[in-house]
Amino acid sequence: MRTISVVLPLAALAALVVLLSPAPAAAQAASAIRLENPWARRAPAQGGHGGANGAVYVTIRNDGVEPDALVSAVSDAAARGELHETAKDGDVMKMRPLPKLDVAARGLVEMKPGGHHIMLLGLKRDLKPGDRVTVTLTFEKAGPMSIEAPVR
Amino acid sequence: MAALRLFVLAVLVAAGPALGAEFRSGVLEPPRPAPDFTLRTPAGTEFRLAHHRGDVVALTFGYTFCPDVCPTTLAELTQVRERLGAAARRLHVVFITADPERDTPERVRAYTRAFDATLVGLLGTAEELARVRKAYGVTAQKRVVPGTSATYLVDHSAFVYVIDPEGRLRLMFPFGTSIDDMTHDIGLLLRR
Repeated sequence: MRTISVVLPLAALAALVVLLSPAPAAAQAASAIRLENPWARRAPAQGGHGGANGAVYVTIRNDGVEPDALVSAVSDAAARGELHETAKDGDVMKMRPLPKLDVAARGLVEMKPGGHHIMLLGLKRDLKPGDRVTVTLTFEKAGPMSIEAPVR
Repeated sequence: MAALRLFVLAVLVAAGPALGAEFRSGVLEPPRPAPDFTLRTPAGTEFRLAHHRGDVVALTFGYTFCPDVCPTTLAELTQVRERLGAAARRLHVVFITADPERDTPERVRAYTRAFDATLVGLLGTAEELARVRKAYGVTAQKRVVPGTSATYLVDHSAFVYVIDPEGRLRLMFPFGTSIDDMTHDIGLLLRR
């Protein structure tokens, strides 16, 4: 019992030291990618028999002097995530998957309805206004970054 | 769309400000009778367009597996309805599936309710649905797309077709029409 009482504060102290150490801050600063205004469109999983879909939109800002690219996105709310683009072909709206989404140096990609979006496939739960979904975006250079997207 | 815009513009110029000029979006001038149809709600009751004379009907076509375009249109029309307030009692927003293979009544019910309890989802046989699309000039093409785990996508035209209280097809909103303009134009029809 005494051992534990000594060890626990030590562990807590160690954790605090890790939290306070400059390493994570440095890693954050190294990433030139900023993710802004994430949101997910409301969508029901119900009745979809595992095949219901949703969409997440986010603005990607690259403050760096090197180009980067979004290569994948996954969410806790869906079985899979894919990068898609909707494009207008005459009067017809066509969706196509993208292998990656380039973000130019000092560039901006604004995902929006009818344009680029993260498609969530196989929703695991209803996405209702007020809910939040966690989305992890992985970039070629910046690596994985997680965001919380409110459902609208 | 360019052709339609030109047509609308030509007609508006010809007709002068008296006809339709107060509308902000794609006006059909002269208005033509909206093709009638009968389809079924998820509950199995019949919905016949002609029974809604006196009200405004906004028709949309899509599929519930559509994550981007269809939910955007429906969410925007839900906002239009909210902005119209009490007048929206005479507005019926209708979602007609273009994907009868996958869109079961349960699925269509869940999908429409996610947006607005008043939203009417409609189903029918593949033939019935194709007839309605043809009558309104809607294209819907099933497409298996490499690079996605979705079984197939449905490419479709994404207009909102607005039918006035006299049962005439009056407005066509292309995708991306602002909520302000849609509210304004539908509001005009509701006041007639």
